[in-house]
Amino acid sequence: MRSRRLAPALGLGLIWAFLILFLIYPLGRIFYDAVTDEAGRWTLANFHDFFTDRFYLRSLWHSLILGLATVITSSVLGIAVAFLLVRYDFAGRSLFGFLTIIPIISPPLVGVLGFTFILGRAGTVNVLLMDAFDLLRPVNFLYGIHGVVLVETLHLFPMITLNVVDALGKVDPSLEEAAESVGARGFSKLWRVTLPLTTPGYVAGALLVFIWTFSDFATPLVLGVQDLLAPQAYLNIVQFVDRRIFRMGIVISALMVLLAVLFLLAARHYVAIKDYSSLSYSRIARRRLSPLRQALVVAFLSTLLLLSFIPYIGVTLASVGRGWALTPLPVAYTLQYYERVIVETPKFILNSFLYSGLAVAICILVGVPIAWLLGRSTVPGRGALDAVNTLILAVPGTAIGIAYIRAFHFDLPGFDRGLTSFWIVMPLVLAVRRLPYTVRGSFASLLLVHPSLEEAASSVGASGARTFRDVTLPLIWKGILVGGLFSFMTSLQEASAVLFLALGGWESITNGIFAFYIAGSANEAAALGVILIAVAAISVAIINRMAGTRMGGVFG
Amino acid sequence: MIVGIRGVVKRFGAVTAVNAVDLTVADGELFTLLGPSGCGKTTLLRLLAGFYQPDAGTIRFGDRVVNGLPPYERGIGMVFQNYALWPHMTVADNVCYGLRLRRLPGEEVARRLHEGLRKVNLVGFEARYPGQLSGGQQQRVALARALVLNPDILLLDEPLSNLDAKIRIQVRAEIRRLQQDLRITTVYVTHDQEEALSLSDRVAVMRDGHVLQVGRPRELYERPRTRFVADFVGTNNLVPGEVHGVDAHARGDLLVRTALGPLRAIADAAVSGRCVLAVRPENVAVGAPDAGDGNRVAGTVSLVSYLGNTLRYDVETECGLVLKADIRDPWHHEPLPVGRPVTLSFPASVTLALSDDA
Repeated sequence: MRSRRLAPALGLGLIWAFLILFLIYPLGRIFYDAVTDEAGRWTLANFHDFFTDRFYLRSLWHSLILGLATVITSSVLGIAVAFLLVRYDFAGRSLFGFLTIIPIISPPLVGVLGFTFILGRAGTVNVLLMDAFDLLRPVNFLYGIHGVVLVETLHLFPMITLNVVDALGKVDPSLEEAAESVGARGFSKLWRVTLPLTTPGYVAGALLVFIWTFSDFATPLVLGVQDLLAPQAYLNIVQFVDRRIFRMGIVISALMVLLAVLFLLAARHYVAIKDYSSLSYSRIARRRLSPLRQALVVAFLSTLLLLSFIPYIGVTLASVGRGWALTPLPVAYTLQYYERVIVETPKFILNSFLYSGLAVAICILVGVPIAWLLGRSTVPGRGALDAVNTLILAVPGTAIGIAYIRAFHFDLPGFDRGLTSFWIVMPLVLAVRRLPYTVRGSFASLLLVHPSLEEAASSVGASGARTFRDVTLPLIWKGILVGGLFSFMTSLQEASAVLFLALGGWESITNGIFAFYIAGSANEAAALGVILIAVAAISVAIINRMAGTRMGGVFG
Repeated sequence: MIVGIRGVVKRFGAVTAVNAVDLTVADGELFTLLGPSGCGKTTLLRLLAGFYQPDAGTIRFGDRVVNGLPPYERGIGMVFQNYALWPHMTVADNVCYGLRLRRLPGEEVARRLHEGLRKVNLVGFEARYPGQLSGGQQQRVALARALVLNPDILLLDEPLSNLDAKIRIQVRAEIRRLQQDLRITTVYVTHDQEEALSLSDRVAVMRDGHVLQVGRPRELYERPRTRFVADFVGTNNLVPGEVHGVDAHARGDLLVRTALGPLRAIADAAVSGRCVLAVRPENVAVGAPDAGDGNRVAGTVSLVSYLGNTLRYDVETECGLVLKADIRDPWHHEPLPVGRPVTLSFPASVTLALSDDA
């Protein structure tokens, strides 16, 4: 009896210790820094400096505009694609359904590199255009805010599609039939009934798109855009020109966390964003389109996907191409770049797999018990646990990276170095960043296991641990594995927080890509990128096989 | 095994789901907890199973106080409303799981599996998965899973509510037959009064965490003690009134003043002042000649419902109260049109005066 109450309490204590140490403390630390001066006195001077500096203000404004513009463009595309996929039948529908999720798994850093190879100043398209039309100057497709919007949109619109497809799948057809029975049809039905029913899913997706764009610094930097908040935070911290600028980097990241949380709360106020349920899907009757309309739909989707696949083409060509300058395609092909990143310096790949593997292990150790506490127990503080878990989704990776640098640079007892000088900080930060996916995946699986299944085991003689082993675990392990694999894949791709914490000799793949690109070795960066894409493709294939089409639940 | 429930209380926050309940279930009896949703019947069953622990009171199985014992140490078999079959195990694995936990030898497990499936007529289904079975079959597997352990007490939580009407009656009969064969002490929870009446030895009617009345099905139907029981079990015409005297000549009939005029009634318990009269529709005659000793009320037919084996008239009386009257043999009855004035009659012996607990 005692141990049955003690075990959850102990588990809860350990979970909170982990969250407080590796999430709440570092975030608290940057907020503390943001409202104090060098001597530790409470002050608003830092914010005053920020809000009186025209450059910072412009950066803030541009970041908001960028986020909003990306949400709008990816919503238009994402919703349109979702409706086409769910409601209509046309040639190649299921193939398109599969291809649509591909852009989102492209590692963000790799995506933007791929675009520069094809659409950059000396990219394939510009070379062709200049030859064909005797242009004197290349067309600027990418460099500027418009380029960031383009790259982010083509990367992120599937996030909206997945969430809306998921939500549409759960709209009870009788609700729409009821609308028709009282005379609503066509646009009116869509606007008054169908869309409102899908808003919870849509808003969750839109929020993720916004926060992602808002806090991405790598894409703007590669495209030469610096007057945005995230790149400013990165440059201020990494260049470390003087203490004041370093502190401004911290202030900016605190501000980004604050804004992200505000947006999260606003979204949550608007809809219950923590709706975890991915349970009941209703059967949908798809409308068969006329041949002409089918052709239009296929043309639209093909164009969209072609654009989304530009980075893959670019990166793949760059990884095997030599002498690719001022020519539409490389002049010679080689495997030397792969040899260099796989055989000569395998550390990037080995480190990444080590970090991501450990991160997934931590995620499962911490996340599955959290899901169990949320779904099955009555311990106090479950609401707070849930809130913290949702908060992680909103906190920008950039801010987490900066917070870790700030919070863990002090010397550890017994060492003359801080935690940030040990490679273990990488799996830790990855685990914190990916925790919500594990929790949500496990929670959704747990919801499918009716408590009476566990009670039935108890009634025929199984103890609590035995019930978990024989009944609960066999029914949820697939969900945990799918969540784990997804976390593994996205951990490999993580660019924001990891770029801050890079340690000499312990770099991950994304560190390598960034370093190679900055150093002008775009081909090696591309080779690493292709490896990331390959891992992602394999992971998604396995996830799809195991989880069917329920991938939306993991993103939601 | 005798089940003794003494002063048991269970609270969830501010809600008292089970409030000072005393019950004794006799050995080998099929005892039903009946009541509307939220009355505390399922909570009481789960207290017996050990999924909840009582906040006060004791629960005894035989001589053993089981308070604080987990379900797997209570010697119970439980059948759940949603069957709760483990979807990743075959029928055989579902049924044998508890046996294997007890480390019984292989041939004993096989023997009990066969015997258990034979009892529920599912021999040959061993290798199927629950998803491949119909609802009725699933519930029979659940029953076999509970019975192979030879439990002292069988607990059934609304086991039929997810089944179609026809299947429900069939499985109901099967449960009753098995229970009689095995003479196993059984506690059965349902909100369906017909189910409760048809298969129970005794029934406890519950409301708001309290037990209102315990009795054999016939007692509950013919001699409800409160207005709630009269209304919940079967159909009753309820007429509020006030006792104003006793007729010493006619077997001590109570004289009751009502909106329908003075009526005669009988009472099991002492009733005085405000009361409610309960008359079953099947005891109300339509247009019968005056026999002298009965209650007679005039009204007009307001609704005729043909139910196949009965025909029910709703008759609106002059005061606006609607009384129901059943014709038991509509085959030989020419229905009266709506609006036809009729006289309803019912003897004092079927008119129960009850305390008004509504």
